[in-house]
Amino acid sequence: MANVKDLIGLEFQPYSLAVEKGKIKELALAIGDDNPIYYDLEAAKKEGYDNIPAPPTFLQVIDLWGGLGSVEKVEKLGFKLTRVLHGQQAYEFFGDIVAGDVLSVTSKLVEAEIKPGSTGAMDIVVTENQYRNQQDELVAISRNTLIHRH
Amino acid sequence: MFYEDVKEGYEFPVLEKEPITRVQLVRFAGASGDFHPLHLVEEVAEKAGMKILAHGMLIMGMLSQGVTSWVSRKNLKKLQVRFSKMTFPGESIQIVGKVLEKKADNIVVAEVFAKNSEGEVKVSGIFEATLPSRN
Repeated sequence: MANVKDLIGLEFQPYSLAVEKGKIKELALAIGDDNPIYYDLEAAKKEGYDNIPAPPTFLQVIDLWGGLGSVEKVEKLGFKLTRVLHGQQAYEFFGDIVAGDVLSVTSKLVEAEIKPGSTGAMDIVVTENQYRNQQDELVAISRNTLIHRH
Repeated sequence: MFYEDVKEGYEFPVLEKEPITRVQLVRFAGASGDFHPLHLVEEVAEKAGMKILAHGMLIMGMLSQGVTSWVSRKNLKKLQVRFSKMTFPGESIQIVGKVLEKKADNIVVAEVFAKNSEGEVKVSGIFEATLPSRN
Protein backbone atom coordinates (compact mmCIF):
# COMPACT_ATOMS: atom_id res chain seq x y z
CA MET A 1 0.00 0.00 0.00
CA ALA A 2 0.97 3.65 -0.37
CA ASN A 3 2.89 5.39 2.40
CA VAL A 4 0.69 5.79 5.46
CA LYS A 5 1.73 9.45 5.72
CA ASP A 6 -0.49 10.10 2.68
CA LEU A 7 -3.43 9.49 5.02
CA ILE A 8 -2.71 12.62 7.08
CA GLY A 9 -5.61 15.05 6.69
CA LEU A 10 -8.09 12.34 5.65
CA GLU A 11 -11.51 13.41 6.88
CA PHE A 12 -14.14 10.81 7.64
CA GLN A 13 -17.78 11.59 6.91
CA PRO A 14 -19.28 13.67 9.80
CA TYR A 15 -22.07 12.02 11.76
CA SER A 16 -24.41 12.72 14.62
CA LEU A 17 -26.21 10.62 17.16
CA ALA A 18 -28.57 11.23 20.04
CA VAL A 19 -27.29 10.34 23.50
CA GLU A 20 -29.87 7.90 24.83
CA LYS A 21 -30.32 6.72 28.41
CA GLY A 22 -30.98 3.18 27.18
CA LYS A 23 -27.55 2.98 25.53
CA ILE A 24 -25.95 4.58 28.62
CA LYS A 25 -27.48 1.89 30.84
CA GLU A 26 -26.51 -0.84 28.37
CA LEU A 27 -22.86 0.28 28.37
CA ALA A 28 -22.73 0.70 32.15
CA LEU A 29 -24.16 -2.81 32.58
CA ALA A 30 -21.67 -4.32 30.11
CA ILE A 31 -18.76 -2.72 31.97
CA GLY A 32 -20.30 -3.66 35.32
CA ASP A 33 -20.30 -0.05 36.49
CA ASP A 34 -23.00 0.26 39.13
CA ASN A 35 -22.73 4.04 39.66
CA PRO A 36 -26.41 5.05 40.15
CA ILE A 37 -26.04 8.22 38.06
CA TYR A 38 -26.07 6.05 34.93
CA TYR A 39 -29.37 4.37 35.85
CA ASP A 40 -31.43 6.73 38.01
CA LEU A 41 -32.50 10.25 37.03
CA GLU A 42 -32.83 11.39 40.66
CA ALA A 43 -29.30 10.22 41.42
CA ALA A 44 -28.04 12.08 38.34
CA LYS A 45 -29.87 15.30 39.31
CA LYS A 46 -28.48 15.06 42.85
CA GLU A 47 -24.98 15.19 41.30
CA GLY A 48 -25.93 18.33 39.37
CA TYR A 49 -26.75 16.83 35.97
CA ASP A 50 -29.80 17.82 33.92
CA ASN A 51 -30.26 14.20 32.89
CA ILE A 52 -28.49 10.80 32.98
CA PRO A 53 -24.80 11.49 32.17
CA ALA A 54 -22.68 9.52 29.73
CA PRO A 55 -19.87 7.39 31.25
CA PRO A 56 -16.32 8.44 30.22
CA THR A 57 -15.97 5.87 27.41
CA PHE A 58 -19.50 6.43 26.06
CA LEU A 59 -18.26 8.46 23.09
CA GLN A 60 -17.20 5.15 21.53
CA VAL A 61 -20.93 4.35 21.28
CA ILE A 62 -21.50 7.60 19.36
CA ASP A 63 -18.58 6.77 17.06
CA LEU A 64 -19.47 3.17 16.29
CA TRP A 65 -23.26 3.49 16.19
CA GLY A 66 -23.23 6.93 14.54
CA GLY A 67 -20.20 6.81 12.28
CA LEU A 68 -17.98 4.19 10.72
CA GLY A 69 -17.92 0.84 12.45
CA SER A 70 -14.49 -0.36 13.52
CA VAL A 71 -14.37 -2.85 10.65
CA GLU A 72 -15.33 -0.23 8.04
CA LYS A 73 -12.85 2.34 9.38
CA VAL A 74 -9.99 -0.15 9.16
CA GLU A 75 -11.00 -0.97 5.57
CA LYS A 76 -11.13 2.74 4.66
CA LEU A 77 -7.54 3.09 5.89
CA GLY A 78 -6.48 0.18 3.71
CA PHE A 79 -5.41 -1.87 6.72
CA LYS A 80 -5.91 -5.59 7.25
CA LEU A 81 -8.36 -6.13 10.12
CA THR A 82 -6.41 -8.92 11.77
CA ARG A 83 -3.21 -6.80 11.82
CA VAL A 84 -4.72 -3.78 13.58
CA LEU A 85 -4.48 -3.08 17.28
CA HIS A 86 -5.95 -0.27 19.36
CA GLY A 87 -2.83 1.42 20.70
CA GLN A 88 -4.09 4.38 22.70
CA GLN A 89 -7.28 6.26 23.44
CA ALA A 90 -7.66 9.72 24.92
CA TYR A 91 -10.64 11.86 25.87
CA GLU A 92 -10.81 15.49 26.91
CA PHE A 93 -14.12 16.73 28.35
CA PHE A 94 -15.25 20.38 28.25
CA GLY A 95 -18.88 20.02 29.36
CA ASP A 96 -21.49 17.55 30.55
CA ILE A 97 -22.85 14.99 28.08
CA VAL A 98 -26.29 13.75 29.12
CA ALA A 99 -29.20 11.73 27.77
CA GLY A 100 -31.22 13.91 25.41
CA ASP A 101 -28.16 15.59 23.90
CA VAL A 102 -27.44 15.18 20.20
CA LEU A 103 -23.73 15.02 19.40
CA SER A 104 -22.34 16.00 16.00
CA VAL A 105 -18.90 14.64 15.27
CA THR A 106 -16.12 15.59 12.87
CA SER A 107 -13.31 13.10 12.49
CA LYS A 108 -9.88 13.60 10.94
CA LEU A 109 -6.69 11.59 10.69
CA VAL A 110 -4.14 13.96 12.19
CA GLU A 111 -0.93 11.96 12.60
CA ALA A 112 0.62 9.03 10.76
CA GLU A 113 4.05 7.51 10.92
CA ILE A 114 5.87 4.27 10.26
CA LYS A 115 7.82 2.85 13.18
CA PRO A 116 10.15 -0.12 13.31
CA GLY A 117 9.03 -2.89 15.64
CA SER A 118 10.53 -6.06 17.10
CA THR A 119 8.46 -8.18 14.71
CA GLY A 120 8.50 -5.78 11.74
CA ALA A 121 7.44 -2.26 10.80
CA MET A 122 4.16 -0.75 11.98
CA ASP A 123 1.93 2.12 10.85
CA ILE A 124 0.76 4.32 13.72
CA VAL A 125 -2.22 6.55 12.92
CA VAL A 126 -4.03 9.03 15.17
CA THR A 127 -7.61 10.12 14.47
CA GLU A 128 -9.02 13.16 16.26
CA ASN A 129 -12.78 13.55 16.77
CA GLN A 130 -14.54 16.70 17.90
CA TYR A 131 -17.96 16.35 19.55
CA ARG A 132 -20.42 19.25 19.56
CA ASN A 133 -23.84 19.20 21.20
CA GLN A 134 -27.15 20.59 19.94
CA GLN A 135 -26.15 24.05 21.21
CA ASP A 136 -23.00 23.83 19.09
CA GLU A 137 -20.85 23.68 22.24
CA LEU A 138 -17.67 21.65 21.94
CA VAL A 139 -18.15 19.10 24.73
CA ALA A 140 -15.34 16.66 24.03
CA ILE A 141 -12.34 15.79 21.88
CA SER A 142 -11.01 12.26 21.43
CA ARG A 143 -7.75 10.92 20.01
CA ASN A 144 -7.65 7.32 18.84
CA THR A 145 -4.32 5.67 18.01
CA LEU A 146 -4.35 2.57 15.83
CA ILE A 147 -1.33 0.35 15.21
CA HIS A 148 -1.18 -1.58 11.95
CA ARG A 149 1.51 -4.26 11.76
CA HIS A 150 2.94 -4.68 8.28
CA MET B 1 -11.95 14.37 48.85
CA PHE B 2 -10.96 18.03 48.87
CA TYR B 3 -8.15 19.52 46.79
CA GLU B 4 -6.44 20.91 49.89
CA ASP B 5 -6.30 17.49 51.57
CA VAL B 6 -4.80 15.51 48.68
CA LYS B 7 -1.08 14.81 48.70
CA GLU B 8 1.12 13.78 45.80
CA GLY B 9 1.75 10.04 46.07
CA TYR B 10 -1.72 9.36 47.53
CA GLU B 11 -2.91 5.92 46.41
CA PHE B 12 -6.59 5.58 45.61
CA PRO B 13 -8.56 2.59 46.93
CA VAL B 14 -8.31 -0.40 44.58
CA LEU B 15 -11.37 -1.28 42.50
CA GLU B 16 -11.70 -5.07 42.12
CA LYS B 17 -13.76 -6.31 39.16
CA GLU B 18 -15.44 -9.68 38.74
CA PRO B 19 -13.85 -12.12 36.24
CA ILE B 20 -14.56 -11.23 32.63
CA THR B 21 -17.04 -13.58 30.96
CA ARG B 22 -17.75 -14.52 27.33
CA VAL B 23 -21.30 -13.22 27.74
CA GLN B 24 -19.87 -9.91 28.95
CA LEU B 25 -18.00 -9.59 25.64
CA VAL B 26 -21.27 -10.08 23.77
CA ARG B 27 -22.95 -7.45 25.95
CA PHE B 28 -20.03 -5.09 25.37
CA ALA B 29 -20.07 -5.65 21.61
CA GLY B 30 -23.75 -4.74 21.42
CA ALA B 31 -23.43 -1.80 23.77
CA SER B 32 -20.36 -0.28 22.13
CA GLY B 33 -21.05 -1.25 18.54
CA ASP B 34 -17.67 -2.98 18.23
CA PHE B 35 -18.44 -6.26 16.50
CA HIS B 36 -14.81 -7.11 15.63
CA PRO B 37 -14.95 -10.92 15.37
CA LEU B 38 -11.72 -11.38 17.36
CA HIS B 39 -13.86 -10.76 20.45
CA LEU B 40 -16.73 -13.01 19.45
CA VAL B 41 -15.86 -15.81 17.02
CA GLU B 42 -13.48 -18.65 17.97
CA GLU B 43 -12.51 -19.53 14.40
CA VAL B 44 -11.46 -15.96 13.63
CA ALA B 45 -9.37 -15.68 16.80
CA GLU B 46 -7.70 -19.07 16.14
CA LYS B 47 -6.99 -18.22 12.49
CA ALA B 48 -5.20 -15.09 13.77
CA GLY B 49 -3.17 -17.27 16.13
CA MET B 50 -5.00 -16.08 19.25
CA LYS B 51 -7.86 -16.94 21.57
CA ILE B 52 -10.95 -14.77 21.99
CA LEU B 53 -9.89 -11.60 23.78
CA ALA B 54 -11.69 -8.77 25.54
CA HIS B 55 -12.19 -5.42 23.82
CA GLY B 56 -9.52 -2.97 24.96
CA MET B 57 -12.29 -0.42 25.43
CA LEU B 58 -14.05 -2.74 27.90
CA ILE B 59 -10.93 -2.59 30.05
CA MET B 60 -10.79 1.17 29.56
CA GLY B 61 -14.43 1.23 30.70
CA MET B 62 -13.44 -0.61 33.89
CA LEU B 63 -10.49 1.74 34.31
CA SER B 64 -12.78 4.76 34.00
CA GLN B 65 -15.17 3.19 36.52
CA GLY B 66 -12.24 3.18 38.93
CA VAL B 67 -11.39 6.80 38.13
CA THR B 68 -14.97 7.95 38.69
CA SER B 69 -15.12 6.09 41.99
CA TRP B 70 -12.22 8.34 43.08
CA VAL B 71 -13.23 11.65 41.50
CA SER B 72 -16.67 12.77 40.38
CA ARG B 73 -17.57 12.04 36.73
CA LYS B 74 -18.49 15.70 36.44
CA ASN B 75 -14.98 16.80 37.38
CA LEU B 76 -13.07 14.48 35.04
CA LYS B 77 -11.30 16.65 32.47
CA LYS B 78 -8.86 14.33 30.69
CA LEU B 79 -8.35 10.60 30.45
CA GLN B 80 -5.75 9.02 28.20
CA VAL B 81 -4.67 5.39 28.14
CA ARG B 82 -2.27 3.07 26.37
CA PHE B 83 -3.27 -0.53 25.72
CA SER B 84 -0.33 -2.78 26.64
CA LYS B 85 -1.47 -6.36 26.97
CA MET B 86 -4.45 -8.40 25.84
CA THR B 87 -7.08 -9.37 28.39
CA PHE B 88 -8.92 -12.70 28.19
CA PRO B 89 -12.21 -14.01 29.58
CA GLY B 90 -11.61 -15.47 33.04
CA GLU B 91 -9.19 -12.73 34.08
CA SER B 92 -10.12 -10.44 36.98
CA ILE B 93 -9.12 -6.82 36.59
CA GLN B 94 -8.06 -4.46 39.39
CA ILE B 95 -7.94 -0.71 38.92
CA VAL B 96 -5.25 1.14 40.87
CA GLY B 97 -4.19 4.76 40.81
CA LYS B 98 -1.97 7.33 42.43
CA VAL B 99 -1.88 11.14 42.54
CA LEU B 100 1.14 12.42 40.59
CA GLU B 101 0.82 16.18 40.76
CA LYS B 102 -1.35 19.03 42.02
CA LYS B 103 -1.79 21.87 39.52
CA ALA B 104 -3.40 25.30 39.65
CA ASP B 105 -7.20 25.67 39.50
CA ASN B 106 -7.74 22.69 41.84
CA ILE B 107 -6.57 20.20 39.22
CA VAL B 108 -4.96 16.90 40.16
CA VAL B 109 -3.03 14.71 37.74
CA ALA B 110 -2.95 11.00 38.52
CA GLU B 111 -1.79 7.74 37.01
CA VAL B 112 -4.16 4.78 36.69
CA PHE B 113 -3.59 1.12 35.80
CA ALA B 114 -5.78 -1.85 34.97
CA LYS B 115 -3.99 -5.04 36.08
CA ASN B 116 -4.94 -8.68 36.39
CA SER B 117 -4.64 -10.59 39.66
CA GLU B 118 -1.01 -11.51 38.80
CA GLY B 119 -0.13 -7.83 38.53
CA GLU B 120 0.17 -7.85 34.73
CA VAL B 121 -0.63 -4.35 33.47
CA LYS B 122 -3.24 -4.43 30.69
CA VAL B 123 -3.96 -0.71 30.31
CA SER B 124 -2.10 2.25 31.77
CA GLY B 125 -3.09 5.87 31.76
CA ILE B 126 -3.18 9.37 33.14
CA PHE B 127 -6.20 11.38 34.18
CA GLU B 128 -6.82 14.98 35.20
CA ALA B 129 -9.72 16.09 37.36
CA THR B 130 -10.76 19.08 39.36
CA LEU B 131 -11.40 18.50 43.03
CA PRO B 132 -13.79 20.49 45.18
CA SER B 133 -12.18 23.04 47.47
CA ARG B 134 -12.76 23.55 51.17
CA ASN B 135 -12.90 27.29 50.51
